[in-house]
Amino acid sequence: MRVSLTRACRFYTSPITPKPSFFSPRAILNQPFSSSSSSSSSSSHSSTPKPKTPLFLKPPKYSATLSDLKKWHNWAKALASSVRSTFADADNGPDSSILFRELNWLIEDSLEDPSLIPQLGFQNNSQSVRLRIGLDELYGLWKQRIEKRKPFQYLVGCEHWRDLVLSVEEGVFIPRPETELMVDLVSDVLVRDNDGLRDGFWVDLGTGSGAIAIGIARVLGSKGSIIAVDLNPLAAAVAAFNAQRYGLQDIIEIRQGSWFGKLKDVEGKLSGVVSNPPYIPSDDISGLQVEVGKHEPRLALDGGVDGLDYLLHLCNGTASMLKPGGFFAFETNGEKQCKFLKNYLENDSACSFCNVSIVSDFAGIQRFVTGFRQ
Amino acid sequence: MSSFILKRSRSGSSLLSQNPKTKSSTLCSSQVDSSAKSNQNHTVSHSWSNSTVAKIMRRNLKDWILAPRLKNPCGSTEVLLFPRGCRWFSTQAAVEPSTSDGLTVDGIVASQWTILDESEGDWKSHAAAIAQSIKVIKKRLQWKNLNVRLNLLSAELNKPNLWDDPVHAGRISREHGSLMGKMKEVKAFEQELLEHIDMIKLAREENDTELELESLEALLTMRRKSKEKELDALLSGELDPCSCYIEVQAGAGGTESMDWASMVLQMYKSWAQQRGYRVTLMDEMPGEIAGIKRATIKVDGEYAFGYAKAEVGVHRLVRISPFDSGKRRHTSFAAVAVIPNSGDSSTHVQINESDLRIERFRSGGAGGQHANTTDSAVRIIHIPTGITATCQNERSQHQNKASAMGVLQSRVNQLEIARQAQMNAEHTQSLTDISWGNQIRTYVLHPYRMVKDLRTNYEVSDPDSVLEGDLDGFILSYLSASLDKDEDGRQ
Repeated sequence: MRVSLTRACRFYTSPITPKPSFFSPRAILNQPFSSSSSSSSSSSHSSTPKPKTPLFLKPPKYSATLSDLKKWHNWAKALASSVRSTFADADNGPDSSILFRELNWLIEDSLEDPSLIPQLGFQNNSQSVRLRIGLDELYGLWKQRIEKRKPFQYLVGCEHWRDLVLSVEEGVFIPRPETELMVDLVSDVLVRDNDGLRDGFWVDLGTGSGAIAIGIARVLGSKGSIIAVDLNPLAAAVAAFNAQRYGLQDIIEIRQGSWFGKLKDVEGKLSGVVSNPPYIPSDDISGLQVEVGKHEPRLALDGGVDGLDYLLHLCNGTASMLKPGGFFAFETNGEKQCKFLKNYLENDSACSFCNVSIVSDFAGIQRFVTGFRQ
Repeated sequence: MSSFILKRSRSGSSLLSQNPKTKSSTLCSSQVDSSAKSNQNHTVSHSWSNSTVAKIMRRNLKDWILAPRLKNPCGSTEVLLFPRGCRWFSTQAAVEPSTSDGLTVDGIVASQWTILDESEGDWKSHAAAIAQSIKVIKKRLQWKNLNVRLNLLSAELNKPNLWDDPVHAGRISREHGSLMGKMKEVKAFEQELLEHIDMIKLAREENDTELELESLEALLTMRRKSKEKELDALLSGELDPCSCYIEVQAGAGGTESMDWASMVLQMYKSWAQQRGYRVTLMDEMPGEIAGIKRATIKVDGEYAFGYAKAEVGVHRLVRISPFDSGKRRHTSFAAVAVIPNSGDSSTHVQINESDLRIERFRSGGAGGQHANTTDSAVRIIHIPTGITATCQNERSQHQNKASAMGVLQSRVNQLEIARQAQMNAEHTQSLTDISWGNQIRTYVLHPYRMVKDLRTNYEVSDPDSVLEGDLDGFILSYLSASLDKDEDGRQ
């Protein structure tokens, strides 16, 4: 789905009018930030970060001949070929074949008319094509991809996730394919639902680009709504942009804050709590794939000494937030964390939870812990 | 009164109902006829004067006694409404419709009237061209087999316990309806030709130049339409209108063949794009040095399967290898398979979620937050049949899964179609498994330049244009040749 440019731009220009409703998007825009995040300033309204427009939504105000574009393409391909499996061998990074595919997608997002791509195969085509980015910038971008190993998603400013195209930018965590399953887990619960969960309040903690919240908002019932929380004001702004692009601004409320800190008003009322919190053990951060370790926000990755700091915080807070019968799902680092958390939740002194289970991702790694409030 | 006749006046048989002798017996059937045929009659507008109508009526009344004619359309209507009339086909097929003086379509073809250019306003030339087209169309539709099949289907429809199996019954009645539609269309076209001939003869007799010109114009329109119909008849298979998947696999011979496979893949991409089809790369396994080991593309558009099915088989390349430093001549092979992507529920096999195993492949390491990757390749395994499908070229895992599921569904469906085809061998032409001996076409780049289809002997001397997707000549010649062979083989 691609929303027209005018609609996407309107978000920047039109002031968001405060609504009298209980859940109002004004929360993030009009309230002073109380976060300790280093990137946020203390002022209120004017400091709201402005998200960047993803490449595929930019106006096609550049042009180049097909043969010049092909020249760039050949150069970029050669650069990608030279990588072979060196990144993969070093830190499980992309090999040439993945880079080739990314290159095709970069062209796809850059061209006003991607149906011209097949014509790149033919030599000496002086036909001019319209681009959303200058040719010189394309050279620069691809250089950053290969030499600096800047994530592809930051190059094009978006990530395709489930059936969504989400805006992302440096400073905002790029949603992962594994996490797509989180929406399926919730969807499965809603299908079997007889406790009115589909029409209740949900919360996505540490929403980042808003991926999980948007995915869930689209499977909720007509009365359901979801609060998406993130400490990072840029992430909150990007999540708001993405929610707006899918017309979900009335269903998703973005709150900028820390975990349960801004959720006093919904305590004990929630139908569901979902989260993909930072879960990588601090010691592992330095050895991460360059794309992740050097480019993505550490705030979204580092889970403390054993990676469990925030997961445990979530487990402890969720019991009082959920209404009886409410559902939770957390993403984890793998088998070790899953098993630990399952055990922890089942042996909770107050016996708050039932049906605690572990769900694997498509790679067969135990990835999620789910359960219900008694 | 006149408007009633005008509306139906193209149908000679319905005019016959005006015959006082047979009025009581034919009137009711002519009414059935008019309701069934009214759609077709509306398509050509007539503005004849009342006097012309009167002439036609007189003429027809006269001819009724001279040349007794069939009430074909009534009969076919009856069959439609009451399937027990199926025997009509086997008995009636031998009797052909004709003009008032006994001229039939076969007769026109046999008399070998010179076919002139369209611009030459000669009715005989038009009529001969149309008659020839009708013969071609009948041949392509496998007219005789069509009759046999219709009888079979009608018999099936008459079974009292037919609806015990609603899926089967639905399939039978759908096929019956579709074949009947095809047959009726050709018969109506035939009838229309004969009527226009009648009309021209009458107009000449009566010196009515206006009517003659009108009829001539109508013949010209028919002549133009007949060319389209000929082409349509090439693609009359049940699955022909579907979209499809095209799969290309490199043969033995390493890099050489993998490079050839990627050339073949590119050829189909270009061909499909030139035809206005939407092409999506589903799955591609690149070769180590160059080319591809295997790839699947999805081709979306009307009749994609109908055309592409002509490409199934092994494609052979002869050239000086760009990978051989000794500049020697090499022969490489690539196999092509085509799978229909039918949205039709009759071939749609219900797949149970619990029969599937979904895997992420080519993933390594801890995943999750550890890995930033744009690779979300998915493999789906249908456990009961062992059929697998993979997709790696979509930009999200969800989309890869959906696309792989589409491929899997089509493969499972194809298995079902093949099973049905075995039970019903004379009808559905199924795609046999490709064996490497099954070479269909040779592309020679050296020492001379030529592409030759081994099935039809169709050849062109410009391999570049073919490799850039100019395949329609090969496809059409194969389709018509294979239909000719079928008809001959089964007579």
